[in-house]
Amino acid sequence: MNSIEYCNDIMVRLEELLFHELSGCAHWKVELVGVDFIQSREIKGDTAEQIVQSCIKEIKAAGLVKDMDYKIGGKGIKLELTIKDCIHLPKEKKLKADGVKPYICPITNMVLDQLIEKLNFETTYLARVQIDENSGKCKTISAIYEDESKIGLVCDWSKQ
Amino acid sequence: MGDILDVISTRKSIRRYKPDPVPDELIDKILEAARWAPTGENYQPWRFIVIRDPQTKNKIGRLARVGSGSRMTAWYCLGEMQERFEKIKDPDKKAEVLRFMYSGEVSEFARHAPLVIAVIGTLMEGSVDVPYDLSAAIENMLLEAHSLGLGACWVHGPVATTRDAKKFKEILKIPTGMGEYKVIAYVAIGWPKEKRKHPRPKKPLEDLVYWEEFGRKERPKYE
Repeated sequence: MNSIEYCNDIMVRLEELLFHELSGCAHWKVELVGVDFIQSREIKGDTAEQIVQSCIKEIKAAGLVKDMDYKIGGKGIKLELTIKDCIHLPKEKKLKADGVKPYICPITNMVLDQLIEKLNFETTYLARVQIDENSGKCKTISAIYEDESKIGLVCDWSKQ
Repeated sequence: MGDILDVISTRKSIRRYKPDPVPDELIDKILEAARWAPTGENYQPWRFIVIRDPQTKNKIGRLARVGSGSRMTAWYCLGEMQERFEKIKDPDKKAEVLRFMYSGEVSEFARHAPLVIAVIGTLMEGSVDVPYDLSAAIENMLLEAHSLGLGACWVHGPVATTRDAKKFKEILKIPTGMGEYKVIAYVAIGWPKEKRKHPRPKKPLEDLVYWEEFGRKERPKYE
């Protein structure tokens, strides 16, 4: 039995059910999904860039993704992650096929968690999850807030 | 028995309040209305925390502002919020409305409400309907407040995420275990400062109702 496939199938059922129960705000409730793995690793860094890099190193080393990259922009608030061949990709494909827009990215949750845990960021928000099942590449866009003063610091992220 | 449709159809969410306190006897009436809400198998999982202390209200207001602001800043930066306010033609007014939203100020009003009631439910007594029971209790509270001339607003924002719900519990010293209590919302209450304009337009019934089966819009004759 393929244990990754088995776990992904379980996640699909749970995500469908949670979305069915809560509708759109299911997306807001799931920020801790995936964080146990990263909290078991020794992530170090004094800046957001260093923390993200440290997370990516651990995530790749564990074989959770084949490749992963990041960009920070948008006045330091926008965090864009590109993830290639994630072990959870089959789950996202199944969800899409079942008519539920993917809304949980455990890999992104790991990175956001460590910004809060290690750098004491005020809060974070996973705003967008884009799946390209053909290329096996996902892109997530998150807002990361170092402190309260960053809330409301807006700009056009399409130009970043 | 009186028809309460007038009370139901004239209620609207009120977010601006006069500083005058809400008398204890009216607080008790609102809580009494909540207590009589329908509840699965009569479990009554609801618990209410009545908050008047300014420092506590400030903490809740801040949590709500950061929570809403963090989401709305991202929505604005992604161009999603602008679409929601397309109907506002005056560019200055539109900019101010959008700023009010993405700064999170839109959700901060607990800070200025004379009364805040947190609505939580025990998950430890076997009830299978906690979120639904709590929602029914909140609706009763809103209607009772409105019928007493008060204004109220149901606020989910500060407990919308798992981390924020934990912070909210910590502010109010609610046990934080995921199997202990669910925090569903708080209700802000006070004497309305804003004019009680007619509630926002609602979809017509013919767009919402089907007869006998999904999709069937015409009302059949039924003898």
